[in-house]
Amino acid sequence: MSVNTRKEPVVFQIGWNACIHCGACVAVCPQEAGFISPFDTIAVQTPCDIACMVCEDICPVTTITHVPLSQLQHAGAVV
Amino acid sequence: MITVDYDIVVIGCGPAGATAARIAAEQGLKVLLVDKRQELGAPIQCSGALSAHALESLNIEPAPEFIHEPVYGFDVYNETGEHTTLDYRCLKPGKYGTDDGKKPLGYVVDRRRFDRYLVTMAERAGVEVWLKTEGLGYQPLPDGNCEVRLRKYNQEVNLRARVLVGADGLQSQVGKWAGLTTHIKMTELASCLQFIVDQVDTSGLLEIVTGHEWAPGGYAWLFPKGHGYAEVGLGVIRTMTPNNAQWHLDHFIRNSFLKDRFQHARILEVQGGGVPLAAPLRTQHAENLILVGDAARHVNPITGGGIHTALVGGLVAGQYLTALIQADKPAIAANLSGYMELWLEQLGNKMWQLYDLKKSIFSVKDITERNRMLYNTMADYFSPDSVYKKA
Repeated sequence: MSVNTRKEPVVFQIGWNACIHCGACVAVCPQEAGFISPFDTIAVQTPCDIACMVCEDICPVTTITHVPLSQLQHAGAVV
Repeated sequence: MITVDYDIVVIGCGPAGATAARIAAEQGLKVLLVDKRQELGAPIQCSGALSAHALESLNIEPAPEFIHEPVYGFDVYNETGEHTTLDYRCLKPGKYGTDDGKKPLGYVVDRRRFDRYLVTMAERAGVEVWLKTEGLGYQPLPDGNCEVRLRKYNQEVNLRARVLVGADGLQSQVGKWAGLTTHIKMTELASCLQFIVDQVDTSGLLEIVTGHEWAPGGYAWLFPKGHGYAEVGLGVIRTMTPNNAQWHLDHFIRNSFLKDRFQHARILEVQGGGVPLAAPLRTQHAENLILVGDAARHVNPITGGGIHTALVGGLVAGQYLTALIQADKPAIAANLSGYMELWLEQLGNKMWQLYDLKKSIFSVKDITERNRMLYNTMADYFSPDSVYKKA
């Protein structure tokens, strides 16, 4: 199971090669409407400040990972 | 006289949405049915098992166009392979079978073709259908109608409607627009994976394997898929196992008491989905809005079956909204609460009973006892004497 005890904002990444577009990650996501990608997965270019990680856990093929937002900002990525 | 573009806009072309739209259009209402996908029923997130009773109750002919294979009963296994065979060809030989005058107990359907078939029925009843059209939002208006914002082939379209029906599945965004709590808890969403396989023999039965070893929190299945194909899959509750569904399916195929039947299996398709083993939403309506089907958790919490419940939910929604609109009553939340009452009466109360039963099983900590309870419950549920049997 995923662990993110500090609950700092994260940005999700999806390994599209393994994704089967089942939508389970969106179904279990407690975010407001709109935290969804055009491919019916959880959003991948929007910081998630809840960071509960249930989307990673529910994925049948474990193809969702995350990067802390601070790490991306430190690297100069635009999110 | 208030002018609206449509009486009803339905978002989601699955069985619930297409049925709700068709029922309303058959009674003369002006209905728009939209879906963001380009291919209905895809990607497949469902095993496709459906009772013959479900089709009969909706006056849907069991057309060869969408049927993979008829089925005649169940074989329910416990964790070690002991099983209860419920072959209705033997249990009720005068009614079920392949001879003239007899019928199947149910079918495994091709969800792509089945969903398209239902939308075709809706379109022929007068429903306007837009594909590649996604919902962006809705807003109740002071005149008692609502504005629905859509995007069709990258063009934004604003419409006025009396009612918006959210039939947008388990990932429903429509419900969230209205502030309804639609997300589902990890403990109640089965993470499912299935393979369509060749070279696995089946015998016209839906085979269901219970047991924490194979599918913690859910069950595994082996269903006939027609033309010599089969589907093998399972659903797990991730809070009950450190491993994902993919690991469990691999473990089941390699190590279960059915492993000899899988030794020559060739995987032809990979499919998956989240299946809610949950209670229906307590609130399925808001101002100018109702939810139906998976979006409202119209899913059997014991079996995870959702096609029949979606069809019935769509029927109830279509009938209720037709009566409301033809009576020229505004679709305010107070008036739409009658939809839920009707749904509870026709199906929902049974769903709640099944949910309580499911909770009583999975609240048991002792795995052996829980396995025993689930196996007995599944065997009872599918028996001809089941208290939950359809009328």
